[in-house]
Amino acid sequence: MRRLVWAVAVSLLAAPIGAARATPGECEVPAELQQVDVTLPHLAGRLAAKEPVTIVAIGGASTAGAAAGSPDLAYPARLREALAAKFPEAQIKVINKGVARQSAQQMLERFPSDVLAEDPVLVVWESGTVDAVRDIQVDDYAGALQRGVDELKNRAIDIILVDMQFSHSTTAMIDFQRYLLALHRVGELNGLYVFPRFEMMRYWSEQNMFNFDGVVAEERAKLAARVYDCLGRRLAHSIRLAIP
Amino acid sequence: MPASSSTRDLRLDFFRGVALIFIFVDHIPENILSYFTLQAVGFYDAAEVFIFISGFTAALVYGQRLIAKGALYATAQIWRRAWQLYVAHVFLFVIFIGEVSYTVMTFNNPMYNEEMRVADFLVHPHLAVMQALLLEFQPTFLDILPLYILMMLLFPAMLLGIRYRPFAVLGGSFLLYLAVQVFSLSVAAYPEGATWYFNPLAWQFLFVSGAVLGHMAMRGRTSPALTHALIPLAIAILVFAVVVRLSWTIGGLWPAVPSLLLKELWPVNKTDLSPIRLIPFFATVVLVAAWVRPDERFMASRAARPLVLAGRQSLEVFCLGIVLSALGHFILAQYQHRLAMQVAVNAVGIGAMLLTAKMLDWYKSMDRVPAPRPAVAARPGRGDEAPL
Repeated sequence: MRRLVWAVAVSLLAAPIGAARATPGECEVPAELQQVDVTLPHLAGRLAAKEPVTIVAIGGASTAGAAAGSPDLAYPARLREALAAKFPEAQIKVINKGVARQSAQQMLERFPSDVLAEDPVLVVWESGTVDAVRDIQVDDYAGALQRGVDELKNRAIDIILVDMQFSHSTTAMIDFQRYLLALHRVGELNGLYVFPRFEMMRYWSEQNMFNFDGVVAEERAKLAARVYDCLGRRLAHSIRLAIP
Repeated sequence: MPASSSTRDLRLDFFRGVALIFIFVDHIPENILSYFTLQAVGFYDAAEVFIFISGFTAALVYGQRLIAKGALYATAQIWRRAWQLYVAHVFLFVIFIGEVSYTVMTFNNPMYNEEMRVADFLVHPHLAVMQALLLEFQPTFLDILPLYILMMLLFPAMLLGIRYRPFAVLGGSFLLYLAVQVFSLSVAAYPEGATWYFNPLAWQFLFVSGAVLGHMAMRGRTSPALTHALIPLAIAILVFAVVVRLSWTIGGLWPAVPSLLLKELWPVNKTDLSPIRLIPFFATVVLVAAWVRPDERFMASRAARPLVLAGRQSLEVFCLGIVLSALGHFILAQYQHRLAMQVAVNAVGIGAMLLTAKMLDWYKSMDRVPAPRPAVAARPGRGDEAPL
């Protein structure tokens, strides 16, 4: 009886935070979406040497996390928390450098100040949405990605590319397909892991786990926070798989 | 003295019809059928076919008018065609506005609101509309007509040049193309920083090449001997191109298949009409010229008739295809992306395009049949005016 009271009290206290967290079951994806064929050697080296680790997440609005209402609820913060659970010994810092409405080229121009200045060992680069919305030429998009990848590789920094978000209403208007193909091809050509956010979110959408249609305005931020939470966890899992 | 239908080069209509169907199919993202269009097997796609044939046909049709009725009349006719294309462009733009506005107004996904604001049309609709009227704003799907319109605006001068000095015009056109490849010249568009998707400085070469060949065909000055001499080279180029490009397509589906030369050749620049696209295209032109006769039995058959008609009514069918592919994209994204749905969307779209072409052909043929004169004769000299 006492335990039950405790449980109720804890869940009541936790409710405001809990609403922004997904339950682990919600975040499940099919095995093929969680397949990781590459390693992250520099990150692995730091972890093995028990040195502090800095990860920079650079990207657009979905990295900044405005939809969830607070940077603590954005996927980089959720990634840090999930990584801390997976590597309890390590000191891991995830720096969020998401800026809304930027093309890959504009992000690349921020590299010196926002990425390299932080001396990261791993960069998570999310891109493509603005390029697709603005209809920037796919070749230019691929070129910007390639230059960024070259720059990071030259500095012995590990890279993970993150592709676009999925939603029915946006894919109905914007053709992401060419940009997805370009992003995945750059990943393939450079032997990088590409986090398949688009396909994961499509899977969740098709499973009706996350559906924004018919959700009232106040609930949408919570829903977004839960999606970011899942993405952070899935990405942490991928990183764990890439550490030999 | 328009070419009678018996001497009409069916290849122009047929291949343009096929290109229009491919443009429709390729414009629907994640369309299973797009694995079976030109772009899946060749480095070029239907856009090249469309622009080349447009140049060829323009030289053929307006070259005859130029000889028969003089430069002024031919110019007026060409610009009338450019005006029709412009009206079609504005019409498609209005539909685009409708689609975007509708989707945005019914939009309720916070995870995208932030990024969607960059859609420049929504930020500055007044500028976007003006720029679209000036052909400077070219949202997806609205990029090939501006190129075609510009080519037609310039065509009277090209045509006169081609009539007297075809190879000088072709040479100049090629030098401009070369300059684009070497110096990366581009033409600015709206919004700032954007460029014309089909760089007119590069794509003009394809249009002019088509026009020069069309001019030679009209004059009966094509050289079958040269064409036949080029066959082995053309085959070698095409086999190489198809093997490499096909390995990319298949490699994208099954990673076990290696994508040959991907690192060296990809991405292939479409905006500037990279030689990697242009050379296999010309190789195809050589083989078609050598192996497919203008009155090929197959093209005159009932089975090929719908495609020939689609090619003949190309402007209307093109516009319809663009609208239908946007609609098809919308339907597939809104509802599940199941195979049956994809097949249905393709079938309905292609069916509608072919049927529309047939109707237009019937309508225009009825128009050409002279109506019986009414008892009270109209004033003379107004016989060929269009009825209101």
